[in-house]
Amino acid sequence: MPRPAPESPRRSSLTPFYVILGLVLLAGIAVLVTQMRPNKDAGANVPATAVTLTPDQLQRVKGMSRGRDDAPITIYEFADYQCPHCAQFAALIEPVIMERMVDTGRARYVFYEFPLQFKWSWLSARAGRCANEQGKFWDFHALVFARQGDWAFDPDPISKWGPLASQVGLDQGKFEECVRSDRFQKEVTESSQLGNSLGVGGTPTLFVNGRKVETPTSYAAFEEEVRKIAPGAFGGAAAPAAPGATAPAAVDPAATAPAGAAPAAPAAGTTSP
Amino acid sequence: MASDAPGFVHDRPAAPPLARMAVALLALIGLLVSTYLSLYKLGVIGGLTCTVGSCEQVQASPWAVLMGIPVSLWGVGAYVAILAIAIVGLQPGQVHARWVALALFCLSAVGVAFSGYLTYIEAYVIEMWCQWCVTSAVIITLIFLLSIPGLRQAR
Repeated sequence: MPRPAPESPRRSSLTPFYVILGLVLLAGIAVLVTQMRPNKDAGANVPATAVTLTPDQLQRVKGMSRGRDDAPITIYEFADYQCPHCAQFAALIEPVIMERMVDTGRARYVFYEFPLQFKWSWLSARAGRCANEQGKFWDFHALVFARQGDWAFDPDPISKWGPLASQVGLDQGKFEECVRSDRFQKEVTESSQLGNSLGVGGTPTLFVNGRKVETPTSYAAFEEEVRKIAPGAFGGAAAPAAPGATAPAAVDPAATAPAGAAPAAPAAGTTSP
Repeated sequence: MASDAPGFVHDRPAAPPLARMAVALLALIGLLVSTYLSLYKLGVIGGLTCTVGSCEQVQASPWAVLMGIPVSLWGVGAYVAILAIAIVGLQPGQVHARWVALALFCLSAVGVAFSGYLTYIEAYVIEMWCQWCVTSAVIITLIFLLSIPGLRQAR
């Protein structure tokens, strides 16, 4: 005998499953939207963090320095040649900082290696020191970042750096010999240790007059932050000076020394041979 | 015995296969992971959250692009297809459809093979790991394993 149909239709047995799928989808979208939202804390809104940069550390650990020793602003960068963000920063923002702050006498820029866990992080850091030994650090630095994609996945990156070294005027043979030796391992290790002691976690990490600042997404954001830390260095609200302009005279003495460091300490960053 | 006569109910239909539900759920998670990586690759997201490995460096490698299209975007396409087929395959009348079982098996098999290749590249060529790529490799492997019973039961 056939059974009569029930009066109300049965709910699909898939309904709870669809609910679960929907919830997972919504949660996923929420996470993605959070990731996409621009970081409002980036740049100017984040208060710079004071660090303990002791004169001893500065004297002991030497970075590659560019700019006037008595510049009112001292910028420290900790970076890794194989880090993609560092390459972006080096291509888009660092040249503008050099042009508008360093070459105008407003800032001194000191580069410290902070090798991460990439395959050639340490080797590339030593390669930079080898270029510095021949007095061509900044040219090689710019080129090795610009060509990161060419050597980062090569089994023999030195064979890629050699021509770059030659291109910037280095003695390629001496350079390659230097990189293949363990020369400058100590210096890079010290630089890395200095970064660790300052709380450098990722790269690039920047310090302006001893204060850690968020990695800028543009030169404008960086300049805004620098103006807050060292307002006197820009002589008030003046627009960025053209390359070759003289450094402004007004300096905020309190802003020139890295937190915890003696005002005279920044000169220790120079390693020019 | 079931009857097709109006006014009479069929026998209670078989419960939807749990394995296929799991495939759909995993495909959705895989889709979210691939979308995340694609958004990074397309420049919509500035940085990747990567607690293990070197996700951004792996994404910057030449192996992160296939035929001019980011690998993660291929993943989005594959997971969308698997998700859609799995949901269709959960509908009454399609649970044992052979084309559904075959499509899920073949798509996931290709996915496993390609993920295996990428994992090899991570391990032995660039010697860096991307946690999201590994997550996707695990997901597609699970989908492949879960697609096997459906293949046997398909008519």
